[in-house]
Amino acid sequence: MNFKKKLASGKFVVLAEVDTPKGVNISELVTNASRIKGRVDAVLIPDMDNGVMRMSALGGGVLMHQQGLEPIIHIYCRDRNRMALQGDILAAHVLGIQNIVVVHGEEMAKGDHRDARPVDDLDEIGLINAARSLREGVDMAGFELKGTPDIIIGCTMPSYADEKALDAQIELAEKKVAAGAQFIISPYVFDMDRFVAFMEKAKGLGVPIIPTVFLLKSVGIARYMANYEPGAHISEQVIKRIRKSSDREMECIRIAGETIASLKEIAQGVKIQTLGWEHRLPAILDQAGL
Amino acid sequence: MITAERKPMEEILDYISPFQRIILVGCNECVTVCAAGGRKEVGLLSSALQMAFMKDGKTLSVNEITLERQCDPEYVEELVAHISQADAVLSMACGCGVQEIAKRFPQKPVFPALNTKFMGASESQGVWSERCKGCGDCILGLTGGICPVARCSKRIMNGPCGGSTNGKCEISPDVDCAWYLIWERLKALGQEDKYEDIIEAKDWRPSWHGGPRKIIREDLVE
Repeated sequence: MNFKKKLASGKFVVLAEVDTPKGVNISELVTNASRIKGRVDAVLIPDMDNGVMRMSALGGGVLMHQQGLEPIIHIYCRDRNRMALQGDILAAHVLGIQNIVVVHGEEMAKGDHRDARPVDDLDEIGLINAARSLREGVDMAGFELKGTPDIIIGCTMPSYADEKALDAQIELAEKKVAAGAQFIISPYVFDMDRFVAFMEKAKGLGVPIIPTVFLLKSVGIARYMANYEPGAHISEQVIKRIRKSSDREMECIRIAGETIASLKEIAQGVKIQTLGWEHRLPAILDQAGL
Repeated sequence: MITAERKPMEEILDYISPFQRIILVGCNECVTVCAAGGRKEVGLLSSALQMAFMKDGKTLSVNEITLERQCDPEYVEELVAHISQADAVLSMACGCGVQEIAKRFPQKPVFPALNTKFMGASESQGVWSERCKGCGDCILGLTGGICPVARCSKRIMNGPCGGSTNGKCEISPDVDCAWYLIWERLKALGQEDKYEDIIEAKDWRPSWHGGPRKIIREDLVE
């Protein structure tokens, strides 16, 4: 069952994020992907995440398709204008990529090409609208397409530090859904009670919510995120649990696995993000019972 | 100077139609020079608005005030004495002026009557042309005093492109090719060798991609 059908069926979808290389050596990407083939419903390929120049998501998505995994690619407005964005969506479709997630691109000033000029021709809602319009057979200039891309459009919600920020993000998500978003990738889950409360508010959006489970990797990363990511809500208990473990790496994997297992009852899927530790995805899936 | 043009009357009327008393604020600087929002234009727009209201069987009270500079809080302060007698403010300044008024009077609706266009120069009577994008890292010293960032339609740093024909840009025969102008100017200066220099990929960090820019002059800060 492909991602679209599984999403429509209401079943729990498992997405794993895999990053493209900075260069053309794809062996690691292909190896990591092959290890999770058949165990995840789709792989999610970021497009120069965190503002770091690397192989485009379109290239990575095609590669994953060639490897027999269903790709979902990130698409955003920082590096392309509406012409390039629409052209890439059409290209992606004919090359085997039927799923896109419209994301907010990291600021150029925070990436590794800080002297580049950002494009920002459209915003997220503008791009979702454009993608939906393409699916309906018309481009942004109003011209009819010769063959329409039957794409699934997702969007994201950023992490939220407090209830006020969450309410603002829910309102924005409503606009994204109204524009054409068919599912939402929601922020990191480290605190299940907080996620349950989030779902109470988010379920009114009327589209599947797919929360993110992030592999913490170490005490340092957990501490850093707890201190500098106000929306992460990583408790001292979690940090202590990792610190006290004799195998801290495995403990992080267990935490991720347990979180995923808990989400099965509450959300309609999970996005597993490891940021460079894709080789540990199989272990996380093991722990999650997937 | 910053150039501007008045918005279409329908749009301005849409903004102010719910109100009975407005302050119409002009600016004595750039928008006066480009005949978009000075004292004279304030008077003209005031009359036009009042007539439009009368046509709809309504009345509009317009307090016409032209400030020395709307982008300067010191002058915006002059509106304090009048603001309580107005339901809204209609500004005929550039976007900087509109925002200064909005900042000073957070409880009062403020609307723009102009579209701010560009930083430019007067070409002839009634004609203004774009000259500067405010990119924050001026390269005019390399390009004979003619800016390819603002005046080349493709923003080419090493031009011209193949669309340059008889000194004109492919975008329109009315638009000069910036790189033709640069070449002619370098020739006139005897600096043809400068044209041989490759201008590296531009560093856009001084431009606005890091967010709204700010200048802090430590020697002037009180």
